[in-house]
Amino acid sequence: MQETATASPTVKETLIGQRVRKPDAPDKATGKTRYINDMVLPQMLIGKVLFAGRPHARIVRIDTGAAQKLPGVHAVLTGKDVAELRFGFVRDNVALKDKVRCEHDEIAAVAAETEEIACRALELIEVEYEDLPGVFSPEAGAREDAPQIHDRFPGNKSLAFEFRHGDLAAAEAASELIVDNVFRPHHVTHCCMGTSCAIADFDHNGKLTIWTQTQYPYNYKMDLAPALGIHPGDIRVIQPPVGGAFGSKLDVYPYEPIAALLARKTGRPVKVMYSREEEFKASPTRQAAIIHMRTGCTRDGVLTFRTADVLLDNGAYTSWGPTIPVIMMRTTSGHYRVPVVDFKAQAIYTNNPYAGSFRGYGNVQTTWATAQQMDMLAEMVDIDPLEFHLKNAQRSGEVTPQRSFLRECALVECLETAATASDYSRKRKEYAALRDAPGRYKKGIGLASSIHNAGGAKIHKSDGIGTILKMDDYARVTVITGASEIGQGIDAVITLIVAEELGVPLEHVTLVNNDSDVAPWDVGVHASRTTFIAGNGTRRAARKAKAQILNAAAKMLEESPEDLDLRAGSVVRNTDGAALIKLERVLRQMHFQAEPELVMVTDYYEPKSEPEGAAHVSDHSAAYSHAVHIAEITVDTLTGEIKVDKVTVAQDVGRVINRMGLEGQIEGGLAIGLGYALSEDMRIENGMLKNACFRDYKLITAPEMPPLDLHFIESHCAEGPYGAKGISELPTIVIAPAIANALYNATGVRIFDPPMSPEKVARAIFERCAPAGSGAVEPRLAGTAA
Amino acid sequence: MSETSEKISAYLAPRRLDEALQAMADGDATVFCGGTDLAPQTESGARQYQAKLLNLRRIEGLCGIDTGGGEIRIGAATTISDLRRNAPLAAIAPALVEAAEHFASEQIRNAASVGGNLCNASPAGDMSPPLLVLGAAVELACWRDRAVQVRRVPLEAFFVSPGKTVRRPEELLTAVVFERPADGFVSRFRKSGPRPALEISTVSVALGARIADGRLSGVRVALGSVAPTPLRARHVEAALEGRPLDATTIAAAVAATADDARPIDDVRASAWYRGHLVRVFVEEVLNDVRRD
Repeated sequence: MQETATASPTVKETLIGQRVRKPDAPDKATGKTRYINDMVLPQMLIGKVLFAGRPHARIVRIDTGAAQKLPGVHAVLTGKDVAELRFGFVRDNVALKDKVRCEHDEIAAVAAETEEIACRALELIEVEYEDLPGVFSPEAGAREDAPQIHDRFPGNKSLAFEFRHGDLAAAEAASELIVDNVFRPHHVTHCCMGTSCAIADFDHNGKLTIWTQTQYPYNYKMDLAPALGIHPGDIRVIQPPVGGAFGSKLDVYPYEPIAALLARKTGRPVKVMYSREEEFKASPTRQAAIIHMRTGCTRDGVLTFRTADVLLDNGAYTSWGPTIPVIMMRTTSGHYRVPVVDFKAQAIYTNNPYAGSFRGYGNVQTTWATAQQMDMLAEMVDIDPLEFHLKNAQRSGEVTPQRSFLRECALVECLETAATASDYSRKRKEYAALRDAPGRYKKGIGLASSIHNAGGAKIHKSDGIGTILKMDDYARVTVITGASEIGQGIDAVITLIVAEELGVPLEHVTLVNNDSDVAPWDVGVHASRTTFIAGNGTRRAARKAKAQILNAAAKMLEESPEDLDLRAGSVVRNTDGAALIKLERVLRQMHFQAEPELVMVTDYYEPKSEPEGAAHVSDHSAAYSHAVHIAEITVDTLTGEIKVDKVTVAQDVGRVINRMGLEGQIEGGLAIGLGYALSEDMRIENGMLKNACFRDYKLITAPEMPPLDLHFIESHCAEGPYGAKGISELPTIVIAPAIANALYNATGVRIFDPPMSPEKVARAIFERCAPAGSGAVEPRLAGTAA
Repeated sequence: MSETSEKISAYLAPRRLDEALQAMADGDATVFCGGTDLAPQTESGARQYQAKLLNLRRIEGLCGIDTGGGEIRIGAATTISDLRRNAPLAAIAPALVEAAEHFASEQIRNAASVGGNLCNASPAGDMSPPLLVLGAAVELACWRDRAVQVRRVPLEAFFVSPGKTVRRPEELLTAVVFERPADGFVSRFRKSGPRPALEISTVSVALGARIADGRLSGVRVALGSVAPTPLRARHVEAALEGRPLDATTIAAAVAATADDARPIDDVRASAWYRGHLVRVFVEEVLNDVRRD
C-alpha cells in the first residue's frame, strides 16, 4: 500500500482504517499515567463511609460523639446533615440515609487526616438498628403484603414500560409454532480496575471542583447538584485518567456527593476511594431481570410475533438499571422482522444492590432470550438456524415496529460471512448427530446475533457534541471536545480524524476533554455513540478549519481553494499532489498579516435522530447495526466445564476508523460477555453479597480468552463519520446466547439463568442423562469407564 | 486493615532458625512467608496480626528441595514456583508438581510457600492432597530448654479444621518430608473450579499407589474441599487395595467416595456438585492409571 502511494503521489493516503495506537498507551503501559486514584492534593483529607451491612432496617439511634472527638477527625456526617437533599432519576436516593434499604447503604461519613484515623473513627460511631423484614426478589416485592421499601413508592413499584404493535391475538392464531420460556439474567458488576474515587474541593465563593471518573461530565452537574443543594452551574467537573467505567460512571453515586459534603464541611479537599470489597458491594450492577418471552412463527419459519413480560429487580434505589426496557423493547421488536410485538416491563424495589448502566445496557439481557428462542424455533421448524435467521433478517431500508430505520442493514452479510468462515451448518449437523454418542467431551457450535443502536440514542433532549478546534503558529492542533475518554479510545479516533482532514502528523494533535469549564457540552459516553457522534463533530470542525486555511492559502498562492488540499504538513495541489507551501507557514502568515486571523473553529453536531418519546415510537438513533457471533465450544459433560475454542465475529461496523481500537473494543467487549456467559455471578443471599472479591467473583482472564476470527462488515453508514457506525456494545451482547446455543448443539441442554457455570451445566446434563429417580448411577459416567 | 496493623509492635526478619524460634517462644508472632494468604485474610479482618510480625524469608536452610536420599525433604519456605521447576521432584512425585502447575497464578506461585499452604489449613489447599498420598510428615520446630526441638507429625494428623492445625503457637513448620516412593509408584492429581486460571479448588483428588501386575497396593487417595480438612479417603482406598484395576474395581471406588466425602454447600459450589466431581475425578485418575 505504501509502495502504491509512493509511485503515485496524487493518490491521497488515507488514515481511515489504519491501525493507530492510543496516544496514552506508552504512559499507561509503563505506569506513568496518574489515575485519579493516585492523586493527592495539598491539605487533602480522606473520607470514609460507614455502610449499613444489613439489607433493611430502621435506624434507631446514631452516636457520632466519640468519632468526632478523635484527634485528626475533621467532620462526621449522617443522614441528618443531608435531609431532603434527594437525588437520582426519581429522587429516591440521598447521600446519607435515614433508613437502611440495602447492604451498602451509606449511614455516616468521616473526613480525617489519614485513612487510618478515618477507619478508626468509623469504628467509634455507634448505630442502633431495628432490622426489618426484607424483600429479596421482585416477585416477593410485588406481593400485596410485601414490606414497603420507600414510603413514596407504594407496592414497591418503580418504573414501568409498555410497547404494543399489531394484533397479537391474530398473530398467535396464525402461529403454528410457539416457544415460551422464562429467562433470568443475573447480577454482575463492572469490575473496573480503578475503584470508585472522587475528590471534591469548594472555594470560598461556594464553587465546587470535583475530580471524578464520570463518563458524562455535563449532565453529571445537573444530577449532582440536588444531592448538595447547590446550582449545577457552580460545579466544575475534572476527569483525570480512569481505570475503566463501562457504564458504571453514567450516574451520580453517593460517594460523590459524600466527598463534596465533607469538603464543604471541612473547607479542605476530600478524597473518597473505595477498596475492592467496597467496590463490589457499593458500585452499581448490571440489571437483573426475569424475562418471560414468547416467540411464534409459521410452519415454514416466518416469525409472527414476540412478547416479553419483564420483571426487573430494581434494588433499593433507581439508577439507570430499571430504565433498560427502553432498549429491551427495541430488541424485542427489532431483532429480526417481528410483525407483532407486545412488551411490558415493571421494576420492583427490593433490598438488593441496585443496577446502573453497563455496556450492552438491557440488550445483553434481551438478546440472551431472543437469540436462544430463534435457535429453538429453528429446531422446531426443522431447518438450519442460519436459514431461519436469513429468512427473517431485515434488509436495508426496513423499519422496525418502533420506527428504527435500518438505512444500511448488513444483517444478511453478517450472517453469511460468519457462517461461511466457521463452516457453521456442516459442524452444527455433525455435532448434533454425535450428541448422544458415547464420549465425555462434546463439541458444539452456536450462532447468535443482535441489533443495537449504532448512532447514539436520543434519550435526552440532545444527543449532540460540542467541539472547539484551534491551531497554533506551528500547525499543532488542539481539539477541545466534550467527548470523554474512559479507555475506549476516542483519543485515538479524534487524533486520527484530525490528522486525516488537516494532513498533520498524529502526534501534532492534542486533546483537551477533561474539564467541564473548558470543553463544550456532550451527552456522555454511552449507547455506542462516541466514535459516531464525536467523530462527526471532530470531522466537521476540522473541515471548517481546513476551509479557512485553504481560502487563506489560495489567496497567498493565487490559486483556487478547490484545487488545494492539506497533506503531510503542506498545502498541496490536488491535481499532482505537489507541495506548494508548508502548512505552518500559511498559519503564521494568516496570523501576522495586515488583517490577522487565527484558526479557531467551533462546532455543535446534533445527529439526525428523533427523541425517544413516551410512546417509544421514534427513529431514536442515527444508525443501527448488527453483529453475529458463532461460538465453537467443547463441553466436559462430567464436570460441566465449557471451553470456548473459537469465536467468529461478523459485525457491521459501518466503516473501520481505527482498526486497532476496533479490534480492542471487540476483544474487550467479548471478555465482558464471556464472563457474563460463563463465570461472573454476584452471589446475593438475602440482600447480602457473598463474594465481594476476585477470589470468588470470577472474571474471564487471559488464558480463557478464545481465539477470535473477526470480520468487519463495512455498510458505509451515510450519517456516520466516513461511514462508521458505533461498535462497542454488540460484542458484549451477542456472545452469551451464541455459547448457549452451542451448548445445546453439543449436549441437548439449555441454561436459562446465566452464567452457564460448570455446576449448572453438569447438573443439567446429569438430569438429562439420568432418568428421574434412577439413583446415584450416572449413565455417562458408567459409559466412560470402559 | 488499619486497626489491626496498629497492634504490630515489632517486625523481625532473622537469618537463623533459632532466632526465629526464640522470637516465637511467647506465641505472639504472626509468621509471614509469601503472604499470599495472610494479606487477604488480615485485609478482610478474618485474621488479626499479632504483636510480632516474623518474616521467614531470610532464614538460611528453610528453602530448598533435597531429593538426594531415601527421604525427600522440602523446606517450608520453598516457593510453589521452585517446586514446580524442580526436575528431580517431577520424576519422583509427579502429582505434587502437577498440583504446583495448577496452583493459583504465576505471581502467587512465585511468592507462596509450601509450608504456608499447609499451615493455612484450607480444605482447598493445593499442596495437601498430593502430599497426603505421598505419606508426608511435617517437621515442627520450637525453642525449648535453650535448644531447637523438632517433632514430626504425619500430615494426616496435622489438620484439625479449616484454618486450624496441631501446630502450637510457638512452633514453626520447617519442612515437609516423605519417603522416596518405591519402584512402580504412580501418582495423579486432578482439580477443578469454574475457571482454569487463578482457581481455588472446587474439589481436588490425588491418588498414590504402587502398581504391579495390574493390581494396586499401598493405595492412598486424598480429597480436597469435600470436608473441613483435606482428608484421606479410606473407603476408596479399601475398595482399591490389592484388587485388579478393572471396571468393577473402579466402579466400587467411585461408589465408595460417598462414604469419605462430606461436602457442604457454599459460595463456590453445592454439596451435590462437589460429591459429583469427586466421583468424576476418582474415576478419571483411576482410568488414567489403568491406561498407562
